[in-house]
Parts: sequence; C-alpha cells; structure tokens
Amino acid sequence: MAKKILVVEDEESLRNSIKEFLLAENFEVVTASDGEEGEKMVRSENPDLILLDLILPKKDGFGVLEGIKNDEKTKSIPVILLTNLEGADDVDKAFSYGVNAFLVKANYKLEEIVGKIKEILKM
Amino acid sequence: MEIINDFDLKKQAEELGVSVWKTPSFLLIVMGIVIIIAMTATYFISRLYDSPEILILAESVVVSVILIFGNSLIQQIETIAKVNKQKTEFVSVASHQLRTPLGAIRWETELLLSKMSSGLDDKQRNGIANINMLAGRMTRLVNDLLDVTRIDQGRMALKKENVSLDGIVSEIMEGLMPLAKAKNLHVVIDKKRKIGNVIADNDRMKLVVENLLSNAIKYTKANGRIEISLFEEANNVVFNLKDNGVGIPHDQQSQVFEKFFRSDNVVKYQTEGTGLGLYIAKNIIEQSGGEMWFHSEEHVGSVFSFSLPIA
Repeated sequence: MAKKILVVEDEESLRNSIKEFLLAENFEVVTASDGEEGEKMVRSENPDLILLDLILPKKDGFGVLEGIKNDEKTKSIPVILLTNLEGADDVDKAFSYGVNAFLVKANYKLEEIVGKIKEILKM
Repeated sequence: MEIINDFDLKKQAEELGVSVWKTPSFLLIVMGIVIIIAMTATYFISRLYDSPEILILAESVVVSVILIFGNSLIQQIETIAKVNKQKTEFVSVASHQLRTPLGAIRWETELLLSKMSSGLDDKQRNGIANINMLAGRMTRLVNDLLDVTRIDQGRMALKKENVSLDGIVSEIMEGLMPLAKAKNLHVVIDKKRKIGNVIADNDRMKLVVENLLSNAIKYTKANGRIEISLFEEANNVVFNLKDNGVGIPHDQQSQVFEKFFRSDNVVKYQTEGTGLGLYIAKNIIEQSGGEMWFHSEEHVGSVFSFSLPIA
C-alpha cells in the first residue's frame, strides 16, 4: 500500500512541486496550507510521515509540532521540518521536539528530500 | 588638509558612509583643539582678571563646550552603529525572502526535468536544466551573503559532529571531477596515511573543502596538477591542497582572506565569484577551533591548508 505523506506548506508553488514529485514516486499525498488545517489533518488523515514548514499562517510549525507530539495517537508519526530558517535556536528547538530531520529548503533537491523520506520510512 | 590624510579620515568616512566632517575621528580632533584653545583662553583671562568668579565662569564655558562636542560625537557614533545594524538586518531579511522564490524555481524545474519531461526535446530540456543550474548558483550566492551577515553578527551556528575529512574530500572531489577532467588536470589524492576524525559541522566542512578544491581547479590552467594530502600533526588533522595554478601576486597576499577580495589574477583569468568563499571558509575553520593559511607564488602556484583538532 502506498505510504501517505502530509505536506504542510503555505507557498502554493512549493506545495505543488513537492506533491507532484511525491505522486510520481508513488506516494499518496495530502496537503494543508496553514498550521491549523495541518494539525487537523494529522488527526483526520493519519499520515505515515509529515513534511512541515515552520513559518505558517494561523499557527506556526512549532505550534503544530507541540500539538502532534503531545497527543498519544500522533506523537510517533515521523516529522521532517522543511524550512528556510536555520538559526541555531530553531535547530535546537526542533530537535528538542524529536523531529526526524531538519532540512533547509533552499539547499535540498526534491530528489534528496524523497531520499530522506524513504530512509525514515525504511523503504 | 594634511591632518585629514594623517588620520586616514577619508578612508574612515568611506567605510562608515558619512562625510569627512562627521567621522568620529575628525570630531575628536576638533574637540581636542577646542579644549586646548578654551583652556589657554581661560588661563589668559584668569591672569587678566584676578577674580575667582571669572575663572569659574570661564571653566564652566570650557566644560559646556566639552559636553556639547562629546554629545554630538556620541550621537554620531550611535547613528553609524544604527545604520550598520539596519544594513545587516536588511541583508538578512532580503536573503531569506530571496531563498523562497529561488527554491521554488529549482523545485519546479527539477520536477519538469525528472518527472514531466516526456514530450520535451533536447533543446527544451537543456533550457530548463540551465534555469535550474542558474537558480542554484543564485541560491549559493544568497547563502554566502547570509553566512557573511551571520559571521559579522557573531551568530554563525555550527553543529558539533564527528566528521571524517577523508570521506568529505573523496565525496567533493568526485563531484568536481568532471570540471577537472574538462581541463585535463592531473589530480592526486594522497591517502596513504590513516587519519582521525575531527569535531566540526559536516555540511559546513563540505562547503570549506568544496570552496578550496573548486578554487584550485578554476585557477589552474589546462594540463596542470592538483595534489591533496591529509595527515596528522601534533593532535591536529592537516589538509593541504597544492596546485601549479596562476598564483596570487605578492602585494595582494595579505588581503586573501578579506571579504569581497578578488586578486587581479582572478579577475584576469576568469570572471565568476564573489570574493566571499575564503572569508567564510576561514571563519568556519577558526570557529571550529582550527586554523587556515596559504603560501602562493605568482605563475608557480598556491598551497592552501587548514588544520583542525582531532576528535
């Protein structure tokens, strides 16, 4: 069965290219464009992995993480942070939430991101 | 205007972006002169009029003058500091904003090339590949500017990881091999000795090694030779990179690690580059507890080296 990925990203063009790339790699993809919608979809869609942006409308990525990691049902879902922030504070804070990877969007190809997803999902 | 030259006021004014009359040094000099004149005047006035009131009055005039000049001096320095801070913040914000559309261009073109390329002919594919490559180059430039800003603010964040320099050198050289082959360069990697790992930021160390290696390839003429060696020396791992390239003119060698420095030879032999790479590389190495240095002779070649403490 295809693995389901939830993409939480407010920039439409970025969201679409990740989605198309993942679909072409035979993943099932659901998307959200803000933090609140994203957090709801973690519960309603029960994805195998979450790609999460940090700067998001309504609720930022750390807020979403807080919600996911404090819920018994969702806390074991792997999370990859995909952001253009890379301050030391952000990186430390992210790993304190137990994220699986912290990738700087501008420095990663889609192919490398998919590689990371497969590595985490042991595919 | 001897005094302007003596105190390098012009240079200071240029660096700070203010007129010569507003540089802190100039205001200090004026303040000094005014104080000396005021003190002398006080002395003569107090001799002319033998009364303590006059003396006190004259002295308070001197103190007021010092206060007024001192105050304007402090204000001037504060303005300059504020402008500098705004400049740095502007670079930081602009760079972050630039990375999003640049990233989108790279992802869209990558998607087109890898998953949606059916129906495209070779010319179209090449065009898209070029857009992708150029957006990548712009991203690196923006990253360099962000790194420089972080270094200037003392906010460069380095992860502490166990890093194999051996592995990094092989990986980076493999990626650069097409460039070296295109110029028919003879590349020698000395791997006879076993070396220990170092504590550093893995991604950043890749940047440093890539910067040094791509410089060596760029500035070595066709059929030239590049030698890379790694060895241990007194609790350090030393990286040595020797080329027989164009070298750096002697009178410019002291500026090599300065921001935005590009030697005459660099400008003469090729055009790409910002002059930020070595500045960033040296800062990364030093912040990781190591050192970076070089020897170079024009038309003979250069040796760039760095050392890092063994983990």
